[in-house]
Amino acid sequence: MTSREQVSRTLQQHGALMVLALLVLVGSLAFDSFSRFDNAASVVVSSSFLAIIAIGMTFVIISGGIDLSVGSLFVLGGVLAAYGSQYGLLVALVLPLAACGLVGLLQGVIIARTGMAPFIVTLAGLLGVRGLMLALSDEGATTYLVKDPAFAALGQGQILGLTYPVYITIGLALAAMVLLQRTGFGQNVYAIGGNQQAAALMGVPVASTKIRVYVMSALLAGLAGALNAARLSSGVTILGIGLELDVIAAVVIGGTLLTGGAGGITGTVAGVLLLGVIQSLINQVGNLTSAFQQVVSGLFLALVVVAQRLLSKAQRLS
Amino acid sequence: MKPPIRTATLALAVLLTAAGCAKAEAPQSAPAATSTAGQQVVQTPTGSAGANCTLQQFGGEKFDLKTATVGFSQSEKEANPFRIAETQSIKDEAAKLGIADLKVTNAQSQFSKQITDVQQLIAQGVKLLVIAPLNSDGWEPVLQQAAAKKIPIITVDRKINAKPCSDYLTFIGSDFYEQGKRAADQMIEALSSKGKVAILLGAPGNNVTTERTNGFKDRVKEAAPEIEISFEQTGEFAREKGQQVTEQLIQSNPDINGIYAENDEMALGAVTALKGAGKEAGDIKIVSVDGTRSAVQAIADGWLHAVIESNPRFGPLAFSTAQKFLDGEAIPEKVIISDRDYDTSNAKTSLGEAY
Repeated sequence: MTSREQVSRTLQQHGALMVLALLVLVGSLAFDSFSRFDNAASVVVSSSFLAIIAIGMTFVIISGGIDLSVGSLFVLGGVLAAYGSQYGLLVALVLPLAACGLVGLLQGVIIARTGMAPFIVTLAGLLGVRGLMLALSDEGATTYLVKDPAFAALGQGQILGLTYPVYITIGLALAAMVLLQRTGFGQNVYAIGGNQQAAALMGVPVASTKIRVYVMSALLAGLAGALNAARLSSGVTILGIGLELDVIAAVVIGGTLLTGGAGGITGTVAGVLLLGVIQSLINQVGNLTSAFQQVVSGLFLALVVVAQRLLSKAQRLS
Repeated sequence: MKPPIRTATLALAVLLTAAGCAKAEAPQSAPAATSTAGQQVVQTPTGSAGANCTLQQFGGEKFDLKTATVGFSQSEKEANPFRIAETQSIKDEAAKLGIADLKVTNAQSQFSKQITDVQQLIAQGVKLLVIAPLNSDGWEPVLQQAAAKKIPIITVDRKINAKPCSDYLTFIGSDFYEQGKRAADQMIEALSSKGKVAILLGAPGNNVTTERTNGFKDRVKEAAPEIEISFEQTGEFAREKGQQVTEQLIQSNPDINGIYAENDEMALGAVTALKGAGKEAGDIKIVSVDGTRSAVQAIADGWLHAVIESNPRFGPLAFSTAQKFLDGEAIPEKVIISDRDYDTSNAKTSLGEAY
């Protein structure tokens, strides 16, 4: 391996991380308040919920699938957690996880056993789960408030100025890295995404691996929803619309291939933070109209993806 | 064409289309933003409702508005006349008062983003926050941070479910329940107290939708029990959604006599749907709330029966309230503005005051 090849490979794998570092540097130089602790904390805290969902999505995408239901599961998890919090901390956590896990299991079984396209199955999930949430909340008009102080503390308690969900996210990310890189399950996920038929011939349990991946994604989306409800002290019903696209964007920016078979957790976390930093920079400017905000964030994303594409080409040529 | 050139051409085409779309609403709002006609008026004498709050009670410190950083958090894209006029009014008034450092954020209808937006405004050191909340609940993290720094929050157009004078300073907006009641009065008159009515509800989870619905229903129940509300569905305050729901409505309830749309955008969507179904202007009586220029024009054209105004020009009132508060005057817990009616008698002449 030449040194040039090595450089371009690292660049592609950690492209998001580098763009992130660059943006943070530029932001700190351009705006006084950008690198202030409060601002950095707001980026990290708000990114943590997206990151939890994106960890699950990374497994799904590496396995060659897609999960469009996560935005709806996120809002359902939040509503159920807020509703359940009147019966205490345990119910507030178990109720959303059980419901979301069940949806994930259902989706996983359908995808793995019938061979239907994950896009369609989880699109049905997206619609159905949001409908379920609206049914539970009186068409979204009823907002359940979090009654249990212990549950609220889970989302609002702080260590060193950062709320608990940040540390939960770090823990989950580390666990996911180990799961993906150091276990047979992780290797199976890569193998299925790389070439499903070859994997099946080699004796990889394709169906059960797929089911587990979708259950995991749904559980993480539900957990993120529950933690977010604890943070907001209420089961807000208008959350999560279009969230699946942000999550998928973060994962892909992070270097995971949409076609499956390659990717990792570090890149995903960098991708999530990158989205948060772009938003923060737009807020620092503070006078862009909503239309231009979208143009700017679209351009940034396009830049990252184009850069990655060029780098991977250079890698193949050398 | 080689692929890169084709891609570039396509990208250019997309950009041009986007620019075209972005411009579409601009000419409408331009005259309204600069003229002083149609400014908000505080309702008297009930305008100063509720307990009074002074700077001392709130626990803040006096500062000079002109040199302070002021934050405005908008909830939805400036893609409909109400939001365009609202943001413009805040910006114009800030410029007029010489407030040099106004930071504006836009949550693009994503509530999580609005929370982060406001937190980042606080991190930028704002001394005053003007918030147009997307949702009434879920403000806990923001309220905690603002309270720790004693930053007064003025919410405009929608409420936050929290304590005035401690969690936030005050709310400036319309009496939405009253708007619903007045819309009902217009509908009752249009239908001569008899018939079937459909409601296009606003977005769920905020007080505007709830109060506009309750006001309408309560009034219909008490004044015209022979009017039956046979259909209710949310159009989420959006034109396309209003059109879509109305298309379903005329399929499932062909005998409908009136439509109450909880904002003008949905009403205009309904008009498109009715035109598509071959209806004539006036066949189905439409009453809505907001007072946008297109809606007032639609009254003049005969498609809408009446529009109850909901004035979005919050700039002058928001900053004068803040100034009064800083000068030590007592601020009521809600500042209710008085809204007017548009109907066939005044639509043509009042077109200039609509936004």
